[in-house]
Amino acid sequence: MLGEFEYLLITAAAGLGANAYGVSIREEIESTTGRQCSLGALYTTIDRLEKKGLLETWMGEATRERGGRAKRMVRVTPKGVHAAKTFYDAVIRISRGAAWVGS
Amino acid sequence: MSDGTQTLLAQWLLQATARLLERDERDAVLGDLTETGASAWQGMGEVLGVVVRREIALWYDWRPWIAAFGVALPGSFLLMGVSMSVSCTYLRLTGTAVGDVCAPTGHEGFLLLACQVLLLLAWAWTSGFFVGSVSRRTLWASVAVCLPPCLFCLARFPWSRVSGLCLLLFLPPAILGVRYALRKVRLRPGTALALALSATALMIYTWGNSALWILNWALILPAWCIAILARSAGRGAGA
Repeated sequence: MLGEFEYLLITAAAGLGANAYGVSIREEIESTTGRQCSLGALYTTIDRLEKKGLLETWMGEATRERGGRAKRMVRVTPKGVHAAKTFYDAVIRISRGAAWVGS
Repeated sequence: MSDGTQTLLAQWLLQATARLLERDERDAVLGDLTETGASAWQGMGEVLGVVVRREIALWYDWRPWIAAFGVALPGSFLLMGVSMSVSCTYLRLTGTAVGDVCAPTGHEGFLLLACQVLLLLAWAWTSGFFVGSVSRRTLWASVAVCLPPCLFCLARFPWSRVSGLCLLLFLPPAILGVRYALRKVRLRPGTALALALSATALMIYTWGNSALWILNWALILPAWCIAILARSAGRGAGA
């Protein structure tokens, strides 16, 4: 079972598609949740998920706006999609009947 | 300090801190910071965050613990003892009086001395190789835990006839072993097994002549662990 932040990261990366890398994922998480996301938390979680086979990463192209430095691109694997769906289903199931869930 | 100097200092610190990251990751993190327009101080905080979290994540695994506290720390104590024993045996055999504090040396002779030297080389090399190959990224910690025992023993070294450096005879082969591991040299299963068997045979002979301490048997473990790891890696590659 995924952790909350792992789920957020996978979902953000999946939504960003081919444009998923450090900065874009971070901005997506921060704008959606309103929480600060440090690069340390982001990259260590990416590493962990990659080790579990839920993400793939590779070094992308270097751009001028990044000072000529490459991006670490992220792609969600089919196993990652499955894990995120399992987490989402569990949250939906356990939330049924909760006072804050609209009828 | 002027703002310009502070910024330069922060930039320098940021680059220096980023050197603790691997090349690809350094590129990605510094690129992210440039893209988001973070200040040098903010950037340094972010980079430190990545470095610290990286280190913490490494210690969730059993390997760094085994390397640092299972092999490096006790190994350095034991290897210093063997280094001392070898030095004292040599000095006695060459007719230099070193007092009666250099035990145990048993039935001394040049053959036994040769066995002890070979054992010291094998133990130190295999310990270094094991520590380096089991946990490369926490090697700094394994080295750090070796320092207090070495400094402690050097500080308390009581003999004037024998140089304190005799305690550190194990260091060159151990460093060589670590260097081999860092170069990602893989021992063939046959070679690793031969090394472990040779060390064990030498140990039995030397032990039979009362020349070593019982805890020295623990030094044989890295050699056997390397043999087992080489065998399982060989099987994995063959599968």
